[in-house]
Amino acid sequence: MGAWRHFPIFMITVPLLGAVLLPFLGYAREKWVPYASLLPLGTSALLGVLLIGRIPSGGYLSYHMGGWEPPFGIEIRLDYVGLFLMLVVCGITTLALVYSRHYIEKEVSGGRRTAYYVLYLLMSGAMLGFVATGDIFNLFVFMEILALSSYALVAITGNRNAVRAAFKYILMGAPSSIMVLLAIGFLYSVTGTLNMADLARRIAESGFTEVLIVSYILLVVGFGVKAALFPLHMWLPDAHSIAPSPISALLSGLLVEVCAFALVRITLSVFTMRASDLVMGTADAVGVAAAAAVLYGGIMAILQKDLKMMIAYSTVSHIGYIFLGLTAFTAEGLTGAMYHMLDHGLAKACLFLCAGNFIYLKGYRRIEDLKGAWVQMPWTCFAFALASLSVIGIPPTAGFISKWYLILGNVKGGKWLYAAVLLAGSILAAVYCLRIIYYMFFQSGKEGAWEEYWHDAPPAMLAPVWVLSLATLFFGVFSSLIIPSLLKAAAYLL
Amino acid sequence: MRLLHNYHYAAAMLLFCLGLHTVIVRRNIIKKLIGLNIMETSVFFFYISLGYLEGGIAPIRTGGADPARMVNPIPQALILTGIVVAVSVTALALSMVILLYRQYGTLDVDRLMREEEPEAGESGKEG
Repeated sequence: MGAWRHFPIFMITVPLLGAVLLPFLGYAREKWVPYASLLPLGTSALLGVLLIGRIPSGGYLSYHMGGWEPPFGIEIRLDYVGLFLMLVVCGITTLALVYSRHYIEKEVSGGRRTAYYVLYLLMSGAMLGFVATGDIFNLFVFMEILALSSYALVAITGNRNAVRAAFKYILMGAPSSIMVLLAIGFLYSVTGTLNMADLARRIAESGFTEVLIVSYILLVVGFGVKAALFPLHMWLPDAHSIAPSPISALLSGLLVEVCAFALVRITLSVFTMRASDLVMGTADAVGVAAAAAVLYGGIMAILQKDLKMMIAYSTVSHIGYIFLGLTAFTAEGLTGAMYHMLDHGLAKACLFLCAGNFIYLKGYRRIEDLKGAWVQMPWTCFAFALASLSVIGIPPTAGFISKWYLILGNVKGGKWLYAAVLLAGSILAAVYCLRIIYYMFFQSGKEGAWEEYWHDAPPAMLAPVWVLSLATLFFGVFSSLIIPSLLKAAAYLL
Repeated sequence: MRLLHNYHYAAAMLLFCLGLHTVIVRRNIIKKLIGLNIMETSVFFFYISLGYLEGGIAPIRTGGADPARMVNPIPQALILTGIVVAVSVTALALSMVILLYRQYGTLDVDRLMREEEPEAGESGKEG
């Protein structure tokens, strides 16, 4: 019984505890808050790294909160995929937090800065818990912490557009949460348990009833809104483009992914896939929606004039990618979807942070304004270009690897049409990304739009951007580090 | 007959649909929030009615009380959490309504969303 057995719970509670303590520090020494908030997230990341290799292959790590045995106590269940996603969350949140200090000093007025960091830690902790928990009501609670802190973070600047975007987000997000709660109520009413593994066992025993069907559909719709699956994505472009850039990076790079992941986990480990026509039928519907998302998001991204708006629509498209990988129902498709969560998270966070650099230094939001940007901001521009390559899926970036597996998975599952849609999505991505690269490097800007000498963002803003963009390259070149274990984990889940 | 017996479930679902309808159809954002609260309350009602027992007693095991007569405490515990969440969402949303009203001078959702900001490119807002 080593101390590492307790690491999963500490990974979740340390950021949450930090969020509780931070206001006191903010009251005494506001200047220290940005540095102090790094501590809990760094601790979580470290604990996560120490857990690598501790998880039995093909199995999971189970932690019983307070020593209460499941199904009565709350269980934290960490399998390989879950730990992988938790590490992604830790990494990206830490980097975006490093980035936040300068950006927030400029964008958010004095009294709200501590609130920003508190909400940031709450959101990170909730995301970690959301991924790890094995209890379905606990999942709801973490989802609500996550949602509430993200509503508030979108609106943190307090200007009218931000508040409006956040309100739109609430109007879609809150009913979806209630749907999830109702679905959990239905599940509980027919099975009498809240533990996911126990639920799966009892559902397998009882077979599918009408209540379970309704419950599953409510869950798909509820998490579909949170993950911004195509017809339910209306809140996303506004919220993601208007939020402060580090928050856009988190929302786009992590939040929608972990919500998609939660839906996957419920589908796979509670309703046990292939169990019935219901799951397959719903999956078909989700597949159609996801294919539409890929095309719609791509086309809308091409039409945008605002840079962050374009990146946000690109997220709509990439959520479609993730769901198309899941609905393929093959190990390759699932692996592709998981890997896409990683590389989309890295690349999207990088793009949003780059867009933040332009806003921070010059206040430029429109794509037009980026003409000739590299003269003044070469570092930001190169990082942006590298991350864009990953979004398009050009080898050797990670985007290529995940798209390869997504397409392979769909072809193996006999879904040729979806494979074609995935390719078409890449072409659309190439159009909207290469246009910006063309503007930045090969066009000259208006007179006086950019200074003629290097004057890039401060190092604390450039370093996270470069770590993220180089990470997309790293995980593309060294994909063999992760892909085999993901394939094994996916085969185990199916 | 089963529906008649489980009339409280039907009532909860009716309330739920009513709330959802209000959230979607009403244009006044305060009314939308009221609809949201009706939805929430209907779910709480559903949970609580799950654990209800005719003539049930509190689930405290003292003096040889019959466990079969105890109400189910789990839904109640869950809903306590649910209520806290609902209150927080409502409070946050209402504080945003105040900000919105100050800055736009309207509570009508259509007019709120139509209002164009000159700077930020708002094309394709209504996806």
